[in-house]
Amino acid sequence: MIACVRTPHPSLVAAWLRSPELRRRPLVLGGYVNDRGLVGAASSQARAQGVRIGMSLNQAQQFAPDAVFEPIDEEGTARVSQLLLSTLHHLSPDVAAGDAPGCAFLKLDRLTLRWPDQSMLITTLADTVKQALSVRPAIGIGGSMFVSKLASEQAKPGSPVIVDAARTREYLATFSIDVLPLDADLHEYLELLGLRTIARLQTISRPAFRRQFGIKALDVYDLAFGIDRRSWRPFSPPVRIEASEPLEPPIDNLEALQFIARALAERVSIALRTHGLGARSMRITLAQESAPAVLIQMRFAYPVSTTGELFDGVRPRLLRATISAPLERITLRAGRLEPAYVRQPGLLVRRDGCTESIADAVARLQEEYGPTLVQRAEVHPEAAPLPDHRILWRPA
Amino acid sequence: MPDRLQQAITVLQTRFGSAAPRPSAPPCPARPSGIAELDALTGIGGWPVGRLSLLSGTRGSGKRTLAQRSLAAATREGIAAYIDLPGRLDPEFLSRLEAQLDRLLIVRPRSLREAMASVRVLARAGVDFIVIDLPRKETAGLDSELPHLLHRMDEAECTVVLIDTPSRALPARGREMRMETDDAIRYYASLIVSLQRSAWVFGTDGDLKGLQVDATVVKNRLAAPGRRASWMVPYPVA
Repeated sequence: MIACVRTPHPSLVAAWLRSPELRRRPLVLGGYVNDRGLVGAASSQARAQGVRIGMSLNQAQQFAPDAVFEPIDEEGTARVSQLLLSTLHHLSPDVAAGDAPGCAFLKLDRLTLRWPDQSMLITTLADTVKQALSVRPAIGIGGSMFVSKLASEQAKPGSPVIVDAARTREYLATFSIDVLPLDADLHEYLELLGLRTIARLQTISRPAFRRQFGIKALDVYDLAFGIDRRSWRPFSPPVRIEASEPLEPPIDNLEALQFIARALAERVSIALRTHGLGARSMRITLAQESAPAVLIQMRFAYPVSTTGELFDGVRPRLLRATISAPLERITLRAGRLEPAYVRQPGLLVRRDGCTESIADAVARLQEEYGPTLVQRAEVHPEAAPLPDHRILWRPA
Repeated sequence: MPDRLQQAITVLQTRFGSAAPRPSAPPCPARPSGIAELDALTGIGGWPVGRLSLLSGTRGSGKRTLAQRSLAAATREGIAAYIDLPGRLDPEFLSRLEAQLDRLLIVRPRSLREAMASVRVLARAGVDFIVIDLPRKETAGLDSELPHLLHRMDEAECTVVLIDTPSRALPARGREMRMETDDAIRYYASLIVSLQRSAWVFGTDGDLKGLQVDATVVKNRLAAPGRRASWMVPYPVA
């Protein structure tokens, strides 16, 4: 079985996460009232007043004069979309992004081993998404992506729609052919033949449909029976994030190199934050003209994601790098990616995050000058009288 | 402050500008050193926070023992670090002074540059108290590092105590090299306590119990300088 988890448009969720007070008001995203533009997303209150996606902002303002108009936060939208997928990915690796914004598919076969009770599984799914995005999703479950998507469109937050495999044909029979991905010609043909519902389509045999509409239209026919032949494209969180910049003409000026490195660090930081990840390691590659490339590796004590933190690690190493020829390209690659939120518990446990920052400082010093630079000592007075036995030195 | 006095000060400020009387600067916060006599001697109740202090004295004057007592007291309050350039720190001695060794970071750098980088990083990270034990020689470059260090200490409210042997107490061969560094340390330090051993103290059984030190505040930017005191520094019992 496949679950389709559907949240409101990611742009709306991003706006609500940024300003929770907007939840209570009709919200239209796409631009400010006086802007020339189209509605990109609208909240349910705005849609109830007649606002539709794609209409002009002026028109939307006439339909919903009390609505809040805001531009779309592209970065926030991407972050919410990724967060939905990565949140579901924590439950099961069988996750795929849906075509519609805010829609994700999840295969439930592995999860039923952990949650044999389906209602518990659905509650867990909904709670997990609610915790991550502060919105309760609509969940539809069916035998294929197509069926589960239709079910999720009928479902409401808190009341999922579950379509058993045996009931799929009867369930789909109630829909119009508009729900099928038909091109204009095929749609027209079917209407001319009086096939306006899926129930009517199901009465035709497969060979007859193939003879009439060709082999390409069989995918649509199969969908009418709930058989979705689209390939499952699983979501996999990024393993590394890379940003690179060619240097033309090649440079040997450290000031300029720092400037470019900072811009690259910013690019890496944006990508990391979009995925809600932090990097535990970073590799700088400096491609030299007519000389081997310089590789600089660094580690961070905890996952870092901001430009400042990344550049703080990069800059001193760039300044110390032995560069023998002008540089042709600089590449920053963030590796060992981990969820960025793992930093938070440490900050909450101690009174002020001091221990975390000291541990980070010690790790940086040890990485730079060797593991024996900063040490701690343990004294065992009852041990043998030799100092080496009584005092145990170990890296801090 | 009474209104009439405030009015008078305003009149004087209008007439004389910066030369007019003004309220004194707020007192500098201090970190108790763990030795009552030394706290009284500094005039502010301990080592100044966010400033550089210097414990100076000839060999055997008790400066390292005093610094380690302060370090032990600091580990009982927070995180402390000891920058052991000469490689002489004895953790067993510290544990006898009731230091919390799990809160002590011992840095053993190979060069002064490593030592100063460590101090800067640790101060910024939130270490409360740092003792830097300088080597007798090889202090070249310290004068250029100290301004950066002071800035970091001030930002991080970290107390740094330097242990140093004055160049005049060194053999003539290494003295020249140390003169410039000594001047820089003396310039940047807010508090300089000079120590001199007046006598060894032996117990009735003939064992060495400690030493009697004469301490003089040579420089003090935070209270009146020139104070003197003498007290016995006991060695911890094994």
